[in-house]
Amino acid sequence: MRNFWLVAKHEYRRTVLRRAFVLVTLAIPLAMVAFIALAILVAIMGENNLPVGYVDNAGILNVTRQPLAAMPTGIEIRAFLDEEAALAALEDKEIHAFFVFPSDYPSTLQTDLYYLEKPPSNDVWRDFSSFVRANLVATYPDDLRNRLFEGPNITVWDIVSNREFSESSIINVVMPFVASFFFFVATMSASGYMLQVVATEKENRTIEIMITSVTPGQLIGGKTVGLLAAALTQLSIYVIVVVIGLTVAAPHVKVLQYITVPWAYLGVMALFFFPSYALNAAVMVAVGGAVTKVREGQSVAGILNLFFLLPLLLLTVIFENPAAPVLVFLTLFPTTAFMTISLRWGLGTVPLWQIGVSWIMLIATTIFMVWAAARIFRAGMLRYGQPLNLKAAVAAIRGD
Amino acid sequence: MRTVEVSHVAKRFGETQAVADVSFAVEPGEIFGLLGPNGAGKTTTIRMMLDIFKPDAGTVSIFGGKLDLAKKRRIGYMPEDRGLYKDLKLEPTLVYLATLKGLDKKTARSRLGEWLERLDLAEHRQKKVQELSRGMQQKAQIIATLLHDPDLIVADEPFAGLDPVNTRLVKQILEEQRQAGKSILMSTHQMYQVEALCDRIILIDEGRTVLYGAVDEIKRSFAGNAVVVEGQGDFTHISGVLETRKHDDTWHLTLEIGTDPQDVFRTLAARENIKIERFELEEPSLDDIFINVVQNGAAKLAALPREGRHA
Repeated sequence: MRNFWLVAKHEYRRTVLRRAFVLVTLAIPLAMVAFIALAILVAIMGENNLPVGYVDNAGILNVTRQPLAAMPTGIEIRAFLDEEAALAALEDKEIHAFFVFPSDYPSTLQTDLYYLEKPPSNDVWRDFSSFVRANLVATYPDDLRNRLFEGPNITVWDIVSNREFSESSIINVVMPFVASFFFFVATMSASGYMLQVVATEKENRTIEIMITSVTPGQLIGGKTVGLLAAALTQLSIYVIVVVIGLTVAAPHVKVLQYITVPWAYLGVMALFFFPSYALNAAVMVAVGGAVTKVREGQSVAGILNLFFLLPLLLLTVIFENPAAPVLVFLTLFPTTAFMTISLRWGLGTVPLWQIGVSWIMLIATTIFMVWAAARIFRAGMLRYGQPLNLKAAVAAIRGD
Repeated sequence: MRTVEVSHVAKRFGETQAVADVSFAVEPGEIFGLLGPNGAGKTTTIRMMLDIFKPDAGTVSIFGGKLDLAKKRRIGYMPEDRGLYKDLKLEPTLVYLATLKGLDKKTARSRLGEWLERLDLAEHRQKKVQELSRGMQQKAQIIATLLHDPDLIVADEPFAGLDPVNTRLVKQILEEQRQAGKSILMSTHQMYQVEALCDRIILIDEGRTVLYGAVDEIKRSFAGNAVVVEGQGDFTHISGVLETRKHDDTWHLTLEIGTDPQDVFRTLAARENIKIERFELEEPSLDDIFINVVQNGAAKLAALPREGRHA
């Protein structure tokens, strides 16, 4: 076991200190930080804290009271007797803009907006709308008034998965797609590196030194664990940056305030991530052990990786019908299970039986592939200068 | 107990019989030469010995039994030319490889400092391996082989890329290891190094053992297969002579296996315009023996002296 952990530790350090790894790990969070900073800057620069006025020619806002909901902008709303007074205030820059409710407003529901340079921001619109609604329902009894003020909020419950889909949780639909992307980047970069490491060590004979010190199992197992730890490090950095970013940005971006931690999603993805990663790594070990040059391995790996990324090519199907038969098949197919479940999660539900069967098949396939990869790796070492063709690989797995 | 015992190993890769039948033993405290032309099966034999390849037939015994992880730690292996992580720094790479052989980091670092000083690599310890010259990489490879103080050293072309000064230094190190009771198996094409260092050798050709024994005995058994001639005239194109070399005023004639030196003398004596001033049997160099055996092939091995032939 000592050598196993030595190999794992060495591989981890070697991976995380690579320039490409550092760049990929830092570039995405830095881009995100820059994006959030830009969004906040635009929001702050675009803000105009001057009051907003209104002229009520329709007589609908006779009872002026504060809106029932808290106003995020906190901008003062000021009443004017006529349009001349409001216009004068606008020109004197006492107010930012003003709305005019014409006398036929109850039948047309049309208002006029006056402003000098820039229209009010969406938040000001929202606040003023709340103000008007609050006043329109002001004469009703409290319980009815609250109900009318808040309006409808439709929540859909899926009885199979016991999951909730509501208008306000749209961000929770997007999250699985973002998370899938992060998982994809981490897995593919780590597995690509695994292929490179195995093929290069075989090409430059380092593997001979290693194999006279450790067993093939210790070597491959240690490398896999080391790379997995590196991938998790990368993911952890992404998660930390996302959490910090959301915390900082949430007060400025309203939609972010509705985010809740999707624990069920994270739990299922954790269950699938580790075996999926190991399966991908085992495939890369097999390819690296079978070829003689790194470039040959990259060509073969490119084709094999399609078996892992196929769901990305079927995004339109996932958007149209997350329960389509082809997606059920991909959910159960070991190489595509992780990505398919992740993407389906955001748009619909994945029945429990599919998750269960898929996970069992993934585990069984991964165990077989790790075992087969060790055999192919061992057989590939016997053939310097000659790649291991498919027939020979099958023979190696069968132990012929 | 013999350090290594290889008995009738064979290995085939597809249609190619890389090793057909090779047997030898390496004793403690000796330097053993594994020789043969390119493609003879030397490296395959080493790999079978070290359990990198499984032999199709035959057996390998290391330190009196099957090779396991504990025994692997007692072996230092230096593959030909390459074998270190090119993109890593020298010191951590060597420490890592030593820890895999059972050393703790502190001991590995302490020993490494001494080796780096001795092989003049101390100031390059923080350089990446790929930034070192070929000779420096070779010396680094030697350190990787010896750092954990192995009992069996397997070195494939240990002098490749070394200048004369470093070649002498490495020879000295190998001598010290022998004196310390270590077994050294060395594969090289530099026959003068084999003559200078090796106690015993095996010569493999086309996957089979063609010569095996102590260097002195083999050379003695081949005496008579070369003659030294001095005189005037042309001493080339003589029947039964494999190779003719002239050095200063002396001719060195390597005879084909089975050729009697007396027949060569008679042939020369019968030639016109030739004056023989000196004609004597020469103890052949290993180089001559290698060329003689390999170029004549197995067909003529029957003519070899019995003690020089592989049983």
